[in-house]
Amino acid sequence: MNWDLIKDILLATVPLLVIFPTMFALTTWVERKALARIQNRIGPNKVGVPLTPYGGKLSLFGLGQPAADGIKMLFKENIVPSGADRLFHLLAPILSLIPAMLVLCFLPLDFPWLTGEQDSVKAFMLDGAVIFFFAITGLNTLAVFMAGWASRNKYSLLGGMRAIAQMISYEIPLVLSAVIVVMIVGSLNAHDIAKEQAGWKWFVFTPWGLAAFVIFFISSLAETNRSPFDLPEAESEIIAGYFTEYSGFKFALFFLGEYIAMFAISGLAVTLFLGAGDGPGIAAYPWLNVIWFLTKVFILIGVMIWLRGTLPRLRVDQLMSFAWKFLMPLSILNIFVAGFAWHAQNTNNPNEETSLTIRIVIWISALIILYTAAKGLDQVNRSKIKPRTYKYGE
Amino acid sequence: MNEVTAFWILAAIAVIGALVAVKKRNLVHGVFALLVFFAGLAGLFLLLLAEFIAVVQILVYAGAVGILILFAIMLTDRVTGKDSFRITSRGSFWGAIVAVSVFLIVLFPTIQEIPQVENPTASAEIVEKSSVKSLGQKLIQPYVVTLEILALLLTAALIGAVTAAQGGKTEEKEVLE
Repeated sequence: MNWDLIKDILLATVPLLVIFPTMFALTTWVERKALARIQNRIGPNKVGVPLTPYGGKLSLFGLGQPAADGIKMLFKENIVPSGADRLFHLLAPILSLIPAMLVLCFLPLDFPWLTGEQDSVKAFMLDGAVIFFFAITGLNTLAVFMAGWASRNKYSLLGGMRAIAQMISYEIPLVLSAVIVVMIVGSLNAHDIAKEQAGWKWFVFTPWGLAAFVIFFISSLAETNRSPFDLPEAESEIIAGYFTEYSGFKFALFFLGEYIAMFAISGLAVTLFLGAGDGPGIAAYPWLNVIWFLTKVFILIGVMIWLRGTLPRLRVDQLMSFAWKFLMPLSILNIFVAGFAWHAQNTNNPNEETSLTIRIVIWISALIILYTAAKGLDQVNRSKIKPRTYKYGE
Repeated sequence: MNEVTAFWILAAIAVIGALVAVKKRNLVHGVFALLVFFAGLAGLFLLLLAEFIAVVQILVYAGAVGILILFAIMLTDRVTGKDSFRITSRGSFWGAIVAVSVFLIVLFPTIQEIPQVENPTASAEIVEKSSVKSLGQKLIQPYVVTLEILALLLTAALIGAVTAAQGGKTEEKEVLE
């Protein structure tokens, strides 16, 4: 037995398996609280930590709620519909969690205080980490379909089909906006991309990077079935979509998988555009890397929660036309803009810093191009979208 | 030792997946067995240090082709995953003969010709050759014309598919109006 190898594997995986589920528990509480405040409610505030067996507790703004929820989920009855495919009904939640957990290891997270060395997580320094990420998150679609099909419930199946259509459509602008960063860095390795942005050279501070980040973020909302793109689980139309027939711990697994997928895709957004672990004080204290990374992920999650409390749900036709007729052309145009901007910056002197005037010209012209393109696409699309007509109702 | 064990496990997964995919009467189960086979194959590629092929295997086959087949099943009325529909296959004898002859004529000589490498993981040259970077450079430098022609063909196929799918839509609109 090679104990060093086992130790390395444990050091590389255990922190991910500890940090992200903990963040999941915290996020469910933050989300419920934030949504409650947005809707003028108080939210969970009762469950706390019991001090003595006879009463008295530390309420901590309801921070005990995730633990209580977890215990409740564990002890709930597992109901399988009689017509359901029992094997697939069991496998679907597991299959939805595995890809989400697996892709976490492609994020450029080092734990120097655990391992001592900077590059001890070599096990996951794959050359094609970014493609691996997209390939494996793509498998999530299969889990959703499996759940929808195995439940033998028409609402589940409708939700599953909606989810597949949506995830496939939004994967294209997602990948196209990530391609820009890969093109500029010249590497698919997440660690290389992170290194390239060290010292406040984040890609979100460039015009094309900003546009790509916005496209990426919107598409990632759709990829993870978050509001306003949560049509696969639209309560008012199809009950709960593909997990209508799930209860107890299987439902908890779906829930966990969904949130871990949110963390993973936000982590990729942070890696690609927001400078990964870069931040103030990173040069003096390298261990701040993880803190900054997770802080940025949390900020993105916070924006997702904020959007959930603010925006109404899209219609199916709006959803599809937004992906194919707006985001996709815009992200293809953005690739060209990025190429031209990169060449304009690097033609004069590769060693010298680009002068301020060139930078400002690039910024303004790129933003004008992207803005007019977005406006034009909006004009073209808007004329075709007609108000909904109801066939069977008034 | 480790690699050999991994090879046998992955090979078993792939073979069992393929057998189940062929034998299952339930089509949706068959598709998922096929996906297991694809995943096993991707693992085998990864074991051979062909990282890029492995990821493309997952991306294209397990992701895209699997979903495509599932969509085809969902859009076909008569096959809805019921066991009672038996998909009969005639001429399995000839199929077996073709498969065996392909193995004997094409694959077996190729396997014989490959030089036996004692420890493939140790060879840095193989790692360098199969890396994503060298693959990209090969695609852009010597094979750029092939790449361009392929891209053009695929674009043409895409446009053709869209046109074919849109087919009678314009006439339908006229009728509605």
